[in-house]
Amino acid sequence: MAAVLPLVPEQHRSAPKPALLWTLGIAAVVCCAVTVGLASVNDELYQPALRVLLVWWVTLPYIFAGMVAWRRRPDSFFGPLMILAGFVTQLSILQWTSQPVLNTLGQLSDLLVAAVWLHVFLAYPSGRLAGRTERVVVIIGYIAAVGLQLVILMLGGFDDRHLLTIVNRQAAAEALQNIQLLTLSALALIGVGLLWWRWRFLPRWQRRRPAQIVINCFSLSLVILAALMVAGAFQLPGFEIIRLATFAAAGLAPLAFLAGLLDARLAKASVGELLVQLQADPAPDLRELLAQALRDPTLSLIYWLPQYGSWADQDGNPAPHPGPGSGRSATIVKQNGEQIAALVYDATLREEPELVEAVSAAAAIALENGRLEAELRARLQELYGSRTRVVEAQQNERRRLERDLHDGAQQRLVALALELGLLAEQANSDPATQTRLKRARGEVAESLRELRNIAHGLHPAVVSGHGLAIALESLAAATPLEVQLKTDGLPRLPEQLEVAAYYVVSESLTNTAKHAAANRVTVDVGVIDNTLVTEIVDDGIGGADSERGTGLRGLADRVEALNGRLRIWSTVGQGTRVRAEIPCG
Amino acid sequence: MRVAIAEDSVLLREGVAQLLTDADIEVTARCGTADELLAGIVHDPPDAVVVDIRLPPTHTDEGMRAALTIREQYPDVGVLVLSQYVEVGLAMQLLADSAEGVGYLLKDRVSEVKEFIAALRRVADGGSALDPTIVSTMLKRHRSSDPLDSLTPREREVLELMATGASNAGIADSMVITQRAAEKYVSTIFTKLGIPATGSESRRVLAVLLFLRS
Repeated sequence: MAAVLPLVPEQHRSAPKPALLWTLGIAAVVCCAVTVGLASVNDELYQPALRVLLVWWVTLPYIFAGMVAWRRRPDSFFGPLMILAGFVTQLSILQWTSQPVLNTLGQLSDLLVAAVWLHVFLAYPSGRLAGRTERVVVIIGYIAAVGLQLVILMLGGFDDRHLLTIVNRQAAAEALQNIQLLTLSALALIGVGLLWWRWRFLPRWQRRRPAQIVINCFSLSLVILAALMVAGAFQLPGFEIIRLATFAAAGLAPLAFLAGLLDARLAKASVGELLVQLQADPAPDLRELLAQALRDPTLSLIYWLPQYGSWADQDGNPAPHPGPGSGRSATIVKQNGEQIAALVYDATLREEPELVEAVSAAAAIALENGRLEAELRARLQELYGSRTRVVEAQQNERRRLERDLHDGAQQRLVALALELGLLAEQANSDPATQTRLKRARGEVAESLRELRNIAHGLHPAVVSGHGLAIALESLAAATPLEVQLKTDGLPRLPEQLEVAAYYVVSESLTNTAKHAAANRVTVDVGVIDNTLVTEIVDDGIGGADSERGTGLRGLADRVEALNGRLRIWSTVGQGTRVRAEIPCG
Repeated sequence: MRVAIAEDSVLLREGVAQLLTDADIEVTARCGTADELLAGIVHDPPDAVVVDIRLPPTHTDEGMRAALTIREQYPDVGVLVLSQYVEVGLAMQLLADSAEGVGYLLKDRVSEVKEFIAALRRVADGGSALDPTIVSTMLKRHRSSDPLDSLTPREREVLELMATGASNAGIADSMVITQRAAEKYVSTIFTKLGIPATGSESRRVLAVLLFLRS
């Protein structure tokens, strides 16, 4: 069974304690009971039963949806914010009593609910107001809802049951109230605009369906709220109906949110599909499948390689994991208590931890296989690396030896030959001396010839010094066959590439001359798509075996050490074609 | 005759200078690098330069580049390139446009004093001097329906001498025949190989090389 843990230790808040949630739940029920009580003692209340139901409708969903959200997403502030919104909404019913202090408090918070809803909707889904604009809108909302209400009450607004009247300026109070309502209406519409704006600029794949339903619901609530405020300001008919609609929509919003939160169907569908695909394809592109299941095309998959103590991608290359603030989150997948892989995804996916968890669990076995494969590739790369280093070291050593011979023994022998030559010129014509001098010169000349062969066998200095094209020209000239050489436009390349290609041609030409009974050979060397392509084609008897001759095997090693590949086609009776491709980009 | 030398091995540089001095050739400069050689030529152009193909700082193609520069900028200065190895590819590069006033020999050839001096004089006079190993390497190639097969051994010998830049007199000397006989061999070879008969000795070096390479 797979366990899932975060890759980067993040600050996680613990879930609220059950006792706290129970307390909040009981408090909500008590508040509802108080509502009934207050409604029953107030004779002036219009349609008291409906009013009570409406208050319940806009408080209980917020509190309970908030509690569920807090429990399931302890990291998000959205749950606590919703709970708070639910309780604050209850404050306004205090105006139903005639007790002066409570009544004052109730009247003061009459419109607070509008600002609170605006706050909640704009804080979705993190519980924090994302931008400066959002913060300004919400603050103005609170000032308009509570601050202006205070002034209106001080001017003797509404009725005389509250304690805040200082002067009695009914006209001014009414004018101010209209300003207040229109301001809140405008803010609600701005809120809709902000929600729409934010949604529009999310990448397509981030526009998840549950979130879309929630945002639509919030927007609808705000639009109706704006209409309600306008209707209140201009005392339009149908105010009561609009109020009903506002409460209905506002109460629906947290339910939509709750539905999205609890809806495991999407996750189940994704996981089901993933399992089917994993069964159908024994060697799947895991990253692609997981990206589909999580609906995050940016998803990347990294594996834990315990031998290397590091994370690696599917090809075994070291892979960095996301740090804090990178906009990426990661989930480690564990198998038998050991971490095997990690999914690295867009931070917005943190809103759906159940989905990530289910997908990780479903893919755990496939991920274990993927990890083994990545480990194998890492080892293979290591092997390639060490082979490259061996070949490089060998080549450096050979070049050094050739250079030492050239600058040392060869120069000295030439100087000696020269000395002997001068001596022969000057020496008296004593025939015995001349004979011995001649023999000595012959010995030196032979030594020089041998040394030259050894030096050339160690390292083809002409390749390093003058390039592949010129070196191949000499090679072709020295081959006792008709060689057609094509090196047009061949640029100078890194030494080890040129030397490798040189040996490929040299060895192939030697083989052809020795074994192929060929009349003609074509040697074609060029750079195609950042690859040095060397091709030698003869018209000989074919049947060359790359495994039989150590020469060809050695060539393959040399080419593969440079991440290239050597292929040989040698059908009996159809000539031999040797092709080396070495990346040079 | 006046000659400048570029060779980084002091031992060899002084040996060659000694050899030239003994042959009454004035050594105008003894350089350790290609830059020194090029700077010297600007002030005091010699009749010829003797240049090692591998010179500091990288010991790769500095000498070769200097040789090509001199051939391009000072056509009157003969260039004799010395090397521990002779490469057909480099010979072709050196003789790309013409074989006049250019030579390319194995370093060992300095020990055959008389021949070396003769080759140097030839190069200084606008002739050519190619190492015999270049020609013999190219002659080893076997081609189907090869016109070279129609040459007699004597004619092949003459061809090899001709390709090294030897004059008719030189050929006659080497083969111990009369100059008339040498001339006759040369014209027979040209006819058999289908090479148009050319005037100067260095032109026929190039013609033979191009024929052998094709």
